[in-house]
Amino acid sequence: MQTDRTSLPLSRRTLLGGLGAAGVALRIGAPGIARAADKLSFGLAMPLTGSQATYGQDQVRATRWAIEAINKAGGVDGRPLEAIILDTQADPQVGIQAVNRLISVDHVPIFVTAWSEVVKAVAPIANDSKTLELSVGANAPAVAKLGEYVYTTFPLADVDVAAVARYAATTLHKKRAAVLFINNETGIGSAQVYRKSFTGAGGTVVGYEAYDPKATDWTGQILKLRGANPDVVHIQGLVADTPQIIAQMRQLGMNQTISSYSAIYNPGLIQKLGAAANGVIATSLAPGASDSPAVKAYVERWVKEVGRQPNGLPYTQYLHDTPYLVADIYKGMLAKKMAMTGANARTEMLAIGTFQLPLTGKLVINPNHTVDKPVYLMEVVNGAWKQIAVVG
Amino acid sequence: MFSLVNLLQIGWTSLATSSYLVLFTLAFALVLKVNRVFNFTQAAVMTVAFYAAYTLVSLLHLPGAAGLLGAFAATLILSALLEIGGFRTLRRRRASPIFLFIFTLIVSELVSYLAMMVYGTWPTTIFPSLFWPVRIIAGVAVSQWDVPAIGATIATVAALFAFLRFTRIGRSMVAVADNPDLAEFYGIAKDRVYLVTLLAAGLISAVAMFLYGTRAQVEPTTALNLLLFAIAATIIGGIGNLGGAVATAVALGLLQNGSILFIPSSWQGFLLYAFLFLAIVCFPRGIRLPRRRLVRNTPTPDLDDGKAEKA
Repeated sequence: MQTDRTSLPLSRRTLLGGLGAAGVALRIGAPGIARAADKLSFGLAMPLTGSQATYGQDQVRATRWAIEAINKAGGVDGRPLEAIILDTQADPQVGIQAVNRLISVDHVPIFVTAWSEVVKAVAPIANDSKTLELSVGANAPAVAKLGEYVYTTFPLADVDVAAVARYAATTLHKKRAAVLFINNETGIGSAQVYRKSFTGAGGTVVGYEAYDPKATDWTGQILKLRGANPDVVHIQGLVADTPQIIAQMRQLGMNQTISSYSAIYNPGLIQKLGAAANGVIATSLAPGASDSPAVKAYVERWVKEVGRQPNGLPYTQYLHDTPYLVADIYKGMLAKKMAMTGANARTEMLAIGTFQLPLTGKLVINPNHTVDKPVYLMEVVNGAWKQIAVVG
Repeated sequence: MFSLVNLLQIGWTSLATSSYLVLFTLAFALVLKVNRVFNFTQAAVMTVAFYAAYTLVSLLHLPGAAGLLGAFAATLILSALLEIGGFRTLRRRRASPIFLFIFTLIVSELVSYLAMMVYGTWPTTIFPSLFWPVRIIAGVAVSQWDVPAIGATIATVAALFAFLRFTRIGRSMVAVADNPDLAEFYGIAKDRVYLVTLLAAGLISAVAMFLYGTRAQVEPTTALNLLLFAIAATIIGGIGNLGGAVATAVALGLLQNGSILFIPSSWQGFLLYAFLFLAIVCFPRGIRLPRRRLVRNTPTPDLDDGKAEKA
């Protein structure tokens, strides 16, 4: 097995290339602090190669920075924390191989993974082996129903989509909403959450249209929604197609308030749409650089060391905070002299319940497999994102 | 929903949107007709065209015309490399059609990954903004992108058909498409024809990708998705029938958008594959309209040279 010590003179690209080719594990930790037998390990199964690699690699980098910081500060009660990293390519089959290895070879009590399809595919393995699976990033509501040992540390769609729906109905006093959503699992699930939350808050959903993930034109759906004359339109799409949908809506004379979710909260939306972006409401599930000095320093570190901001900043924030959460669980287990098993890790995580994390703030993990997080509602005002509310 | 204005709007926007779809289809159908290759490298060419234009316009702040020229140059270079370094070598080694097909798939994936490594996966556009102002004409919103896009498509299609009909190399392409061995027997250099065909398809793809990238966001994997539409339109339109492929691309665009008037929107994406399935099963040679046969009144040659009469 190829093993990485962070001091080895190997480039990251060489290591990742080797990983992808050979399917071997990468260990990130601080072996100089304590003997290898003292290490506390957890698994990290992420896409290091393949189409999602640019996100996965940035998230792994954020995790590595956090582990380095934890170990520099003395580790977990003096024992170094270590991540055993395997490539999933965001592919369920590759993910299953990776997780099987983490459980049967490396015997980790906890493993972290992301991407809905992978999270779902490996859930039976986690449940059968009683290993704690932490999903970080997948937001399909179904993630909360994957079994006893599968938990998310990332808010599911019902958190931010429900929040924006309630905000539209109760604070903005919108009575008639329309929903336009991508016809895949995430889009369908989130659209249902919006409809339920908006009607639950006293509004009426007057338009409800799906679109094909490969669509390049949305005229038919938009005209249908326009005919329903809504006060607000919620779009549950992808970062790639949502700006174009908004542009087409504005071109076709729909000047209503438009809401969406965290995927569109980025400066690119304003650049792509110009004045047409004004009035668009998005959500953010993590504080931004302007909200938190720690996040500001984190983003500055990216720019200084990598030369750019991370791909999918909020997601990297959650991945950065995951080792802190794992460290808290292990610390609690050590204090209670519990055996390092997945069952005990799950018990201790639920016993702790509330975690204070450096970049994403307070996190409450509920026994029903959901999390409580504040939702930051952002609106484009005069060509810039402005925080209009923090809800939840 | 069934108001005249809505119907006109769907018709107009579908027509405008089909501009790049027509060109993607035309490029794919041309290579399939002449080179007889199911050419997935077109996705690679499309990706390179977009990122060349994006680099020049969005990153280097050059005018749009420079971006288009850059896209042309990049596609010509890549197409020439693919033909000379790839297809020609494989033909000489008498590679089977399935091997050629796999080669094209690998190239398209390779270029997609390269683009991802260089440019990342964040979706981008050629111009900083993708919002085009609109004018309302008879209740129909016509964006400033629509008319130039339709015009560019008509001009490109006309140029290709003129090229095939009126130039020597164009006629050679038609000859090779009809019967490559016979064309070679008559002295046509097949390798040169295959190269010119790929270059022409590359230029068409560049125009199409420039149009697409000025209206929508593009990621390294976008081209492969767009190519699926081109393949469907080529098969339904009839393999080897360029005009049929073009007409099918327009019709499919209209049908997909207009279908929402009659079926739930969640079924919209299913339509393309349903038509593809039906076309392959029921019309394996494509859907062809009946043609009026032109009969010339020419005298039948007297094969026995009048011997029977003498007898």
